[in-house]
Amino acid sequence: MLNYEEELKKFKPSLEVEDIEDAVYQEDLSDMSDLLKQVMDRSGASTRS
Amino acid sequence: MDYTKKITYHSNYWYNDGLKRAQIRDTSGAIVSLRRSLQYNRENIAARNLLGLVYYGRGEVAEALVEWIISRNFRQRDNIANEYLRNIQNSNKELGAVNQAVKRYNQCLAYCAQGAEDMAVIQLKRAVSMHPTFLKAYQLLALLYLHSGQYAQARQMLKEARKLDTTNEMTLRYMQELKRMQGRRSRQGGRAEEPGKNEIVEYKRGNDTLIQPRPSTVHRSGGGFFNLLIGMLMGAAIVWFLIAPAVQESKAAQMNKEILDYSERIGSLEAQISAQTRMLDSYRATSADTEAAAQNAASTLDSYENLMNVSDQYDSRGYSEDVMADTLLNVNRDALGGSGQALYDELAGNIFPYACRILYNAAMESYNVANYDAAADNLDKVVRMDEGYEDGNALLHLGLSCRKRGDAEAATRHLGRVVELFPETEQANTARAELEAIAMETNAPASPEGEDSGQEGEDSGQEGENPGDPGQGGENGEDGENPGENQGQNGEGESGENLGQGGEG
Repeated sequence: MLNYEEELKKFKPSLEVEDIEDAVYQEDLSDMSDLLKQVMDRSGASTRS
Repeated sequence: MDYTKKITYHSNYWYNDGLKRAQIRDTSGAIVSLRRSLQYNRENIAARNLLGLVYYGRGEVAEALVEWIISRNFRQRDNIANEYLRNIQNSNKELGAVNQAVKRYNQCLAYCAQGAEDMAVIQLKRAVSMHPTFLKAYQLLALLYLHSGQYAQARQMLKEARKLDTTNEMTLRYMQELKRMQGRRSRQGGRAEEPGKNEIVEYKRGNDTLIQPRPSTVHRSGGGFFNLLIGMLMGAAIVWFLIAPAVQESKAAQMNKEILDYSERIGSLEAQISAQTRMLDSYRATSADTEAAAQNAASTLDSYENLMNVSDQYDSRGYSEDVMADTLLNVNRDALGGSGQALYDELAGNIFPYACRILYNAAMESYNVANYDAAADNLDKVVRMDEGYEDGNALLHLGLSCRKRGDAEAATRHLGRVVELFPETEQANTARAELEAIAMETNAPASPEGEDSGQEGEDSGQEGENPGDPGQGGENGEDGENPGENQGQNGEGESGENLGQGGEG
């Protein structure tokens, strides 16, 4: 049995053309390389400490 | 192995997976795979471009533009993203329509949050018409239809959504819910997956929305026979009150017309009959006149012959006056001409007096012996020759003779003539008495003979006085040439004897 209210919450506003620029800037472009670098930086920092 | 290579491999792996999914229109799975690929390597241009393409395929153009712009930033040359962006920029009208559709979609979310599902449905219908590949709009619209119970429309929307994304979890879940709802309705006795009788069925065909009219509830159950019965009754009432009177009126008018025609024919026939009758009467009258004329001619001929005979007989002096009088009485004086009438008058003047005397005497003799027939015959001739002969005694005795022999009618006629010609005389008194007696005999029942004879005796007694009159007449005729003198003398004795006998009877 569908819960109308719950299903309705799953629908998010769609991106409009005017919001593309902001969306581009807010796009999280982090990938695995960045994550490994962060891990390595933390490990290096912890080693030096 | 270098971590960078591993990362690249993983990124490519998920790109490939995303590509496979995208090829089978599993856009949801493709997005997940491609996102994961980009998580491994954000500079996987192919993955990013494909992600943008997938977004574009499910109607999320803005998201696609974001990915393509980012892709172009990572690689400005030999990047298919440039072509995609150029293509979008060249179609500003389509981009504007897409943008409007997205705005309507976002507005619908606000309507739904406010509870205005009807408005949301209207806006979403417009949105999907403007942007036919907008997956989220189809899904939201399907949800709204499911919520309002419009399962047919919901199915239609879910079909369109599944075309855009075959394995979309939301779409599949809604379809499963739709099947479940339709199965429950079929178990309850309603028709599964078919629009209810009171439901309005709407179909989309391009930009047009077709609405099936709501079926009528008039023809349900057993109302058909009842409606038929009502219809028959109404038809019968119409026929009885409208058609039948007109038909009867026309028939009555026709009958009246026929009656008038027949009446006219009858009238004309009656007129013809009347004319024919008049003609027949005229013919009969003419025939009667002709017969009368013929009889008159015959009578004239006979009259002339008799007149000639009488003239010859008179000239011959060989015939008695009574014989010549009989012949002369057969002459019709009116049928004679002037000279014939003159001859008739001459002969009558010479013959009739003598004949009257002879015949009167003979008649009285017959009367005295009760030979009333002979007396009546002779007196009749006398009266014809001289109606007032012997001061009406001939006429009186003629009446008496007729009464004696039973001819009351003739007696009444002759006695009445006596009263008429000789009023205030004894003869008239006698005649009146006789007439009264005749009247009493006619009205009264049959009476005994003695009384009648007694009455007759009294009458006779009265009559006895009268015969004296002729004697007076005889006395008046002192010349002696008057035949009345002899008659008077004869009358006294004989009539007295007769009267006495009559009284005794």
